[in-house]
Amino acid sequence: MLTAERSIVHLNVVDFAVAVERALEPRLRERPVIVAPEGTARACVFDMSDEAYRAGVRKGMPLDRAHRIIRDAAVLPPHLDRYERATAALFNEAKPYSPLVERADENGHLFLDVTGTGRLWGPPPDVAWRIRKTARDSLGFDPVWTVAPNKLLAKVASRLGRPNETCIVEDGEEAGLLAPVPMDLLPGVEREDLERLRTLRLRKAGDVAALSLGQLEVALGLPSRARKLHELVRGIDRSEVLPATARRPVVRVEHTFAADTNSAPLVTGALYGLVEAAGAELRERQLAARRIGVVLDYSDGVRVIRSATPAEATASDRALYGHASEALRRAWVRRVRVRHLRLVCDRLIFPPAQLNLFEEEAHDVRKGKGLDRALDKIRKKYGLEAVRVGRTLPVQQRP
Amino acid sequence: MQGDSTVRMPVAGRAEQKANAGIRIGTCGYSYAEWVESGFYPAGTKGGEMLRAYAEHFSVTELNYTWYQLPKASAIERQRKQAPAGFLFAAKLTRTMTHEVAADWRTEVARYRDGIRPLQEARQLAAVLVQLPPEFGRTLNNRKHLAVVLNELEGLPLAVEFRNGTWNHERVFGEFERRGVTLVAVDEPDLPGLFPALNRVTSPQFYVRFHGRNAKGWRTGNMQSKFDYSYSDKELLDWSRRYLEPMAARAKTGLVFFNNHVRAQAARNALALLRLLRSMGLEAG
Repeated sequence: MLTAERSIVHLNVVDFAVAVERALEPRLRERPVIVAPEGTARACVFDMSDEAYRAGVRKGMPLDRAHRIIRDAAVLPPHLDRYERATAALFNEAKPYSPLVERADENGHLFLDVTGTGRLWGPPPDVAWRIRKTARDSLGFDPVWTVAPNKLLAKVASRLGRPNETCIVEDGEEAGLLAPVPMDLLPGVEREDLERLRTLRLRKAGDVAALSLGQLEVALGLPSRARKLHELVRGIDRSEVLPATARRPVVRVEHTFAADTNSAPLVTGALYGLVEAAGAELRERQLAARRIGVVLDYSDGVRVIRSATPAEATASDRALYGHASEALRRAWVRRVRVRHLRLVCDRLIFPPAQLNLFEEEAHDVRKGKGLDRALDKIRKKYGLEAVRVGRTLPVQQRP
Repeated sequence: MQGDSTVRMPVAGRAEQKANAGIRIGTCGYSYAEWVESGFYPAGTKGGEMLRAYAEHFSVTELNYTWYQLPKASAIERQRKQAPAGFLFAAKLTRTMTHEVAADWRTEVARYRDGIRPLQEARQLAAVLVQLPPEFGRTLNNRKHLAVVLNELEGLPLAVEFRNGTWNHERVFGEFERRGVTLVAVDEPDLPGLFPALNRVTSPQFYVRFHGRNAKGWRTGNMQSKFDYSYSDKELLDWSRRYLEPMAARAKTGLVFFNNHVRAQAARNALALLRLLRSMGLEAG
């Protein structure tokens, strides 16, 4: 049995889209399955079953090619609403075991903090096993489960080993577990850092863990990123599992493109539209964001999430757009078309009352705020379309 | 968590322990956070320190995490090194070979063997516990499966625990004797369909598991209800006279584990049984 300072359970349904489709249509269990949007130009694989994967099909692969690799596969269109509902059902199965249950960024992934629940439910591995058993019996899919002292280790453990293999990570096993793990399997490592580490032939977490913080700062150039990586490769993660009942203090807006696109004016126009919507909501709620994140879904099902952290919390469209653009720049690194864009403003606080030190800067801020207020007022009275910023014109559909 | 008012349980004391005692007594698992709260482990004991603290009281433990996941040799070796020389481990067989039989379970047997090898090589493997689920009745298919499992695990010190009463059959015990496999004796609630308590010895080593007698909680699916029970001294005395004494007379060695882990009742009962058996003149440690 595992006893740790914290006991985090991670549930992860492998090939989630396929698992959900198979739960709804059991005959699909008898053949390979590919989930891909048929009928679209250059459709790419969104998800595939283990049989298809073993035959060589990969996420993001053009559907034509996947077809050639495995001709007898059933091809289904993605049903994002089904996957959302299935994740919610899994969440409900887990909820009785802890007040701290959090849906991870991907569908079919959950974290539970079961620290201190032993007297009610027994040892953490047994809790994890029971949730998995209930999910299998009542929902029809079989999550992989792991137990570890924090979310990072629980997540990494679920990516190791063979499919559907359980992993219990005990306190003190962090270094041994992470040492052989390739850096690109660790969540939260920036692409630029990966490339830099590669040039230095630092490919595994153990290689990076052998460096001191000072050496890592020299290697990466940025002290904050070095500190983050220094902890990451040592399995240190203090992030909390959010309460199941808590409404996340977050403003989230999204845009689905009418057709998948890689047009920069269209994508940046959509982003500005999202910034305007998020900014208006923040100002309405009298809040300001300390983190601005962009979630980019490519047409092949790959999702990239990047965020930017302003020095000062903001609710101004201009400032929000600056940070959102920075996050988009880091997320939009592939040549594949973009399907969906989400803007997430979180770490919300009441706006800072501190005055700007320099008059010129203060003047700009005042002007920006005045413009935001005027736009909010007009839109409240006459609707969102009453006044538009030029750069949103290429986007036909408002979020 | 309790503070200074915590009443520490009596400790057998290392000096009193006999490393090669005929009957070894311990608990099913040792790493429970609530055993700190219950006062069995000193306040502040961390997960990684529990085996050492446990070994101050007992000379054997049953590893039950190996039921959830295949053992890894590196982790087992680390665990082995934490315990004193002569300390023994019984390891549960992983669920993918007993409860949720995987299509490729035979390859799992090989991985299981690799995982527990450090214990075997150090002669610290007391037994491999093959625990079978309640729905595993004595049908033709199940008999075949069990026979293949035992074949695949040949060479290991095997002990089989049934939870289904249909296996209470002389032909089963005869086959175990032929194979040198230990039939696990159980104490559990008196409920229909469960495997009964027996003092049948089928190998040179006997193996006993005390699950508690919480009939109300047994089928709730909640471990905290199922194993919430404390044996009285009289219950332990009666059981020892009826089952343990005859088994000890017929076998060379014995293993006894308490599974009623809730609020460290297993540890308390194990210590009480240790004292009781010694007072009865049995060699226990």
